[in-house]
Amino acid sequence: MNKHKFSRLALYVFLSISAFVSLFPFYWMLVSSTNSTADINSGKLSFGSSLMENLTKLNTQVDLGLVFYNTSKIAILSTVFTLIISSMAGYGFEVYKSRNRDKVYNALLLTMMIPFAALMIPLFTMMAKANLLDTHFAVMLPTIASVFIVFYFRQCTKVFPKELIDAARVDGVKEWRIFVFVYWPVMRSTYAAAFIIVFMTSWNAFLWPLIVLQSAELKTINLVLSSLSSAYFPDFGVIMVGTVVATIPTLAVFFAMQKQFVAGMTGSVK
Amino acid sequence: MTHAMVKGIVATAVGFSMAGAVAQATELSVWAWDPNFNVAIMNEAGERYTAMHSDVTVKVEDTAKDSLEQKLHTSLASGMTKTLPDIVLIEDYNAQKYLQAYPGAFAAMEKVVDYSSFAPYKVDVMTIGDSVYGIPFDTGVTGMYYRTDILADAGFTAEDLQDITWERFIEIGKVVKEKTGKEMLGNDPNDPGLIRVMMQSAGSWYFDKDGNVDIKNNAALKESLELIRDMTKSGIARPTMGWSEWVGTVNSGQVASITTGVWITGSVKSNPDQSGLWAVAPTPRLTVEGATQTSNLGGSSWYVLNSSENKDAAIAFLNEIYTQDKEFYQKILVDRGAVGSYLGAGEGAAYQTEDAFFAGQKVYSDFSDWTAQIPKVNYGMYTYEADAALSAQLPALLQGTDVDTVLERIEQQLKNQIQ
Amino acid sequence: MSSSVSQQLSSAPENPKKKQGSHGSFHRFYDINGWTFVGGAVALVALFMIYPILNSLWLSLHSGRGIVTEFVGFGNITRLFNDPVFIKALSNTFIFLIIQVPAMILLSLALSSCLNTPNLRFRGLFRLAIFLPCVTSLVAYSILFKSMFSYEGIINASLLWTGIISDPIPWLTDPFWAKVTIILAITWRWTGYNMIFYLSAMQNIDKSIYEAARLEGVGAIKQFFYITVPLLKPVILFTTVMSTIGTLQLFDEVMNITQGGPADSTMTLSMYIYNLSFKFVPNFGYAATVSYVIVFFAAILALLQFKMAKDK
Repeated sequence: MNKHKFSRLALYVFLSISAFVSLFPFYWMLVSSTNSTADINSGKLSFGSSLMENLTKLNTQVDLGLVFYNTSKIAILSTVFTLIISSMAGYGFEVYKSRNRDKVYNALLLTMMIPFAALMIPLFTMMAKANLLDTHFAVMLPTIASVFIVFYFRQCTKVFPKELIDAARVDGVKEWRIFVFVYWPVMRSTYAAAFIIVFMTSWNAFLWPLIVLQSAELKTINLVLSSLSSAYFPDFGVIMVGTVVATIPTLAVFFAMQKQFVAGMTGSVK
Repeated sequence: MTHAMVKGIVATAVGFSMAGAVAQATELSVWAWDPNFNVAIMNEAGERYTAMHSDVTVKVEDTAKDSLEQKLHTSLASGMTKTLPDIVLIEDYNAQKYLQAYPGAFAAMEKVVDYSSFAPYKVDVMTIGDSVYGIPFDTGVTGMYYRTDILADAGFTAEDLQDITWERFIEIGKVVKEKTGKEMLGNDPNDPGLIRVMMQSAGSWYFDKDGNVDIKNNAALKESLELIRDMTKSGIARPTMGWSEWVGTVNSGQVASITTGVWITGSVKSNPDQSGLWAVAPTPRLTVEGATQTSNLGGSSWYVLNSSENKDAAIAFLNEIYTQDKEFYQKILVDRGAVGSYLGAGEGAAYQTEDAFFAGQKVYSDFSDWTAQIPKVNYGMYTYEADAALSAQLPALLQGTDVDTVLERIEQQLKNQIQ
Repeated sequence: MSSSVSQQLSSAPENPKKKQGSHGSFHRFYDINGWTFVGGAVALVALFMIYPILNSLWLSLHSGRGIVTEFVGFGNITRLFNDPVFIKALSNTFIFLIIQVPAMILLSLALSSCLNTPNLRFRGLFRLAIFLPCVTSLVAYSILFKSMFSYEGIINASLLWTGIISDPIPWLTDPFWAKVTIILAITWRWTGYNMIFYLSAMQNIDKSIYEAARLEGVGAIKQFFYITVPLLKPVILFTTVMSTIGTLQLFDEVMNITQGGPADSTMTLSMYIYNLSFKFVPNFGYAATVSYVIVFFAAILALLQFKMAKDK
């Protein structure tokens, strides 16, 4: 029994240390956002009083509302489209299994290994020829068919009760209606989990938006952050407020959908 | 009465349409990278110009420097110039790279601009053959900023720091470290900036005048490397990583000096507690032939894109403000601490200001004098490659590898990189 | 309840037409629907992945500066073998791969099996805390890590204060420690992400197996290695492959924390591609060649990992 108690204690210590390590940078970010650059550089660990000052400075340097709108618009739209297109494909590959489609599927999986750096120049040229540079559309377009999300939906569809499809077919329901009215409601938590993953990826994207977007009116939060941090005299208080602002939405989405997320992930790994 | 009215209306209408034909409202777009420095300065330039030419406005897009360079490369390489601005800011070290890698992309201006009014080293950077591209902007003329109080604690006066060699600098640094516990300087082992300062102060560079790699037998570079090694070994250099940490050593009072470009002035002054404790002396010199007490680090210039529809308007704008408006240079000096490479600017009153932060020293007047004396070197198009090759060998140097071997390796890697 | 219904349903004779695929009309119906559903994604991937990568294959046969290029055939491949920076980047990438991926996977597994302990208090809180790092953006967290790991930063200050070290560690300026910093950063960002996959998979393991093992007197650590790990093999394989690919393409962290330095000690292949394209005098052809090296190794490693998984 004593041994049991000891291992319990070890378990809590291990988890507490891990949680502390995970959370500390967030604490550092919050504390720093309320301090001046000088205090941040000297490693001040307590909350200061410069939060409003930093926030005001940030807001005078960039139009925060607009930046927020741009980032949200791109993140939400591309998440919605990614979920529709990629879940359709995941569903299609699993429900309508065929040897040819499996070959295509394997080819898709292989493309996950291509580094983005290898695609950048040709992609940019394509967007330019299509007259799409400097538009939010160009930022979203290449991300919509996410092979990872296709894979994820196919995995989850494996545990989807196929009898529901058969039953609906017997009733004469059209295939796309089965997908929308039978599949969607059952897979709600799968969609929630995918929503979180895609939303975070999209919100956090940096390199591609950086290349495609040129006008200040179109910029996203990460572009602004990196611009702030590369100034000759970077103001760390302002930058830290910026990182807080950049992190809040993904946190909010995660908290809002946490329950479904956990449930959705469980389905994917059966 | 009615007749006159009709006449009037017609006249007005004609007037409007004429005005429209002669000078349509033009918006010049500009890319620059520092909201507190070149972006703000360009905005100021734009406002001044618009005040005189109401049909032209200037709009500056603020992008991080790395990002700006990358976007410029991507656009020029894909031939998609539509989204490019009319004017772009390019760092001097990179100028030749863009000019040579994308021939025809930038507008030559030697027919319009009087380049004799700029520091000669700046004009060299933007010259290919007989063509000169761009308008020189700020200079990175260097000086040694030091804390008078820390050096006084170690027993040194201002005279002890005037016109010294780097060897002497290290000796002083050792005393400072011993007596005050503070390091003499912050040094980023990733950033060969200081080595470039040393090299250029002796009129030398990674490449010779013709652009050939000049490393193995480069006496100035050899001495610079030895100095960096000795600084690190003697413990007078505090290791830093990245820009902000390097500046941080100064603001937090951990180091006694910083030798770099004049653009650092704003950062040095950002801690008001240190007001009156700073002074600026000439850059320490090497002992090789051709050594001087002036050098340069960084600095950038404005370039006009050939693809721009507003090319002529852009050139006219730059030419009017940046090569003639002395008052503009006074204003950006006072507001932003920018020292232009326009030689006429130094005559203005602002340059004679006694700065309380520097205990009344006329620092800008000093910098302005030094600007005209910066040794000319050929930066070539491979400064980043050379920096990378050099940085790769620095740890070996610090671990005791013989300097000649290190130089040999740098030359090899560089030659391989630029084949 | 529903599972018993579905079992009955599935054991019941299926749609007879489906059994005989050769029977024309259903087969066609099946096929048309199949392609319709996957069509959108496949077309987009072809357009935005396959076409550009083929385009870049063509690029890789050229060399030069910016738009001034010439056809060099396989010249770029010869150049690879004589390029010390490329070799350095390749070996760094493998060092990250060999150390970081297994360490992170083990850590995530350990954490998830701890979190899966029955009657654990604050389970939700712990899970949330450990997952939280992966909601941060790469730019934001890189800025954070740079500031925390600076010479005067909070990490050194804390270590000095606790007396673990007597001199500050040059986290970002020493070639060895810079690698350590990057490894720590990636591990911080992605451990929780992988953990969620394992946790979810563990929900599907029958609790009675552990119960039986405990009654047999099998300790927690043995349970972990003999029950949890084998049962999670497919998920472990999947996360390993994903992490391997991620590490092979490692870019954002390095770009934002160390820029590949000091002395190229954290230079990765993707970072080198970036430098070749956007920092140095641009040689897009040679950069494309380096990017094919990543594709090559990723494919080989993925194959190896799948094969190992099958053999076991």
